[in-house]
Amino acid sequence: MDLPNSAASARLQAHFFDGRSARPQRVQAWVHEGQLHLQSEEDQSLRHFPLREVVWPERQRHGQRQAELPGGGLLSHHEARTWDDWAQASGLRDSLTVRWMQSWRYVALAFVLSIAVVAGLWAWGVPWAADKGVALIPPAVEQQIGDQALSWFDQKMLKPSKLARAQQDAIAERFAQALQKAQAKAMARDRGAKPWPAYQLHFRDAGEAMGPNAFALPGGNIVMTDALVQLLDKDSPQALVGILAHELGHVQHQHGMRMVLQAGMVGTLAGLVVGDFSALIAGVPTVMAQAAYSRDFERESDALARQLMLDADIQPRVMLDFFDRIEALRKKKGDRDSLPIAFASHPADAERKRFFGAP
Amino acid sequence: MSEAHTGASPFADTVAVEDFSSHGSPTSPPTRRLMIAFTGSGSEYFRIWIVNVLLTLLTLGLYLPFAKVRRIKYFYANTLVDGEALSFHGRPWPMFRGFVLLLALMGAYGLASKFSPTAGLLAYLLLCALWPALWRAGMQFRLANTSWRGLRFGFAGDLRSAYLAFLPVYLPGIGLMLAQYFFLGDMNPATTPEAAAQIEASAKVYLAISGVCGLLMLGLAPWALACIKRYQHNGYHYAEEQTQLDTPTRRFYGLGLKVFLMGILPLVLTGVLAAVLLPMFKGRPEILPLVFIALFLSYLFFFAVSGPLFNARLQNLVWSNTRSPSLQFDSQLKARRLVILTFKNWLLTALTLSLYRPFAAVATARLRLESVSIDLQGDLDRWIARAGQGSSETAGEAAGDFFGFDMGW
Repeated sequence: MDLPNSAASARLQAHFFDGRSARPQRVQAWVHEGQLHLQSEEDQSLRHFPLREVVWPERQRHGQRQAELPGGGLLSHHEARTWDDWAQASGLRDSLTVRWMQSWRYVALAFVLSIAVVAGLWAWGVPWAADKGVALIPPAVEQQIGDQALSWFDQKMLKPSKLARAQQDAIAERFAQALQKAQAKAMARDRGAKPWPAYQLHFRDAGEAMGPNAFALPGGNIVMTDALVQLLDKDSPQALVGILAHELGHVQHQHGMRMVLQAGMVGTLAGLVVGDFSALIAGVPTVMAQAAYSRDFERESDALARQLMLDADIQPRVMLDFFDRIEALRKKKGDRDSLPIAFASHPADAERKRFFGAP
Repeated sequence: MSEAHTGASPFADTVAVEDFSSHGSPTSPPTRRLMIAFTGSGSEYFRIWIVNVLLTLLTLGLYLPFAKVRRIKYFYANTLVDGEALSFHGRPWPMFRGFVLLLALMGAYGLASKFSPTAGLLAYLLLCALWPALWRAGMQFRLANTSWRGLRFGFAGDLRSAYLAFLPVYLPGIGLMLAQYFFLGDMNPATTPEAAAQIEASAKVYLAISGVCGLLMLGLAPWALACIKRYQHNGYHYAEEQTQLDTPTRRFYGLGLKVFLMGILPLVLTGVLAAVLLPMFKGRPEILPLVFIALFLSYLFFFAVSGPLFNARLQNLVWSNTRSPSLQFDSQLKARRLVILTFKNWLLTALTLSLYRPFAAVATARLRLESVSIDLQGDLDRWIARAGQGSSETAGEAAGDFFGFDMGW
């Protein structure tokens, strides 16, 4: 509160507690020359306190008013309205925040601004901070996190691959050659083109649960399931290269780490707004954020994969065969819950088919 | 619970019910019932809340302690005990420092567990070692900064008992953590079938140990709750009074069992429903989303009923058995009303994308606070502060997050 400079002295009947006894004393209170004066109605004794040292209550419509006095005393009044009128007449001013909260117009403004801030943070703030944050994480730490994630998958869902060693090596070799070719093309086009990130290719048997699938983990671990190799290797081997290029896009853009950071930030944001109310409700935005940001990441990776395929003289159209086969598989199974989990958060297949099918 | 206290009007906030009959001897001081009233308004708290939210967002969370002081002051100024409001004396800046310290601690913990299992285990143990002290400091801070009729409350529980109170929670938890560390810890991805077999074997051992620890945790939970509540309610003091909680541990087991059974019922039904429905619709993928929504709703129902049911019963159990030489607390919170209110709060908060949240907070506070009353023997005007009123450590305030009448925040 701002302090008054006038010598106004409206009187207010209030209760004073001295901080040592629970007994209220009836007092008259007034403000004069920068001091709050109290006079007891019982023994007429006088007390005074510098206005600056008094902690004044904030004006609201409801509740009682209590001013904390230096030395542990308390000045209390049951009628909020009477107190507020007295305080105003005595020249005590509300803080800016309190005046803001008292006006419905400014409250509406705060509401609109809050939504704008949340939207801005969602669209730019969080991705920007994740970019900066990811750059700060040492590669060794990212590698460690990725390795841990892989060993978690190995324990819970994955078994060693049943593919022949030669077949695994052939796929890895085919991909490495495509990378080399694309790299040369990219360098010729733009001398400052970034080199491909380091990656490790892992083949695993994921059983029925995961089906034909591939995913990238932090630190450059790319996992491809046996089912995916069996689906494509014989008839459209170049689609496998396309899928690996897509996963390399995740590695290049460090999507794994960015997702951890972005989901964490959205969770914190939600916690700030509704967190103390219900963990369940605060968790919903986090899940929504993961799906939304994940679709952005997939588009980013698709773009990289398409460019890489073009540079390596592979027609991006070969990916259409992959989408058709996945769709056929899904139809054959007859239900939606066997959908490969990594693809549930992908953009719609139709959109991706248009993207890869474009001339 | 305490049959002597039924028939009190919940709205007689400032009216004291004189009751001379309950104490036979004419020389003993009269008993007076102190009612608690809550006068806060949802629309007003909405305005406080939205400005707080904006300032918190703009400062990326750093405004949080300042927002918290304003919120607590508003709720206290509207909590009238026998017609006189509570007041909160916490200063934002010390709370800000405590908040930053706690944030750093939590951040370090979060990072350490991502780094390596060993660092995660050490950070977890460190947090376990610090937590009871922080929790106690939080209660000390909150109570030392709460006053009524000009007298500060206080918390007298000692540090050793705080650690003892947490023992039933910690023992199975530490077992779980150690098992995770030794059986799942530093393992490399399986590349050979032998390595995979070895991983599978140690995963089985881990599963067995974690199962035992989990069951132990569940079985000890009511005891742990009793220990924690007893520690809290044996430590509150005001003027020269110190409270004590007289409830046998078996009543916490009774409460736990009741809520567990009532809560598990819809869950079991959901399971049965799922087992029946899922194969039925195997060939018709278009109906499956509906089945999942139905299952999810019954799962939500489990939370919507068992959570508030437990909270209501716990508040009654604990507060109705809390007393001090001249005070006897009583809580008559109807579980049904809290269940309905919580359900309504959830629904409206979700439908309004969290805008209803401040209204929900006010409504919940009103229901929970107004169901508590206090029987007083003697003359309040003669009560005086006890000598040497307490310390105020702030680090625990954000950690303990404690509110006088089990408000949770």
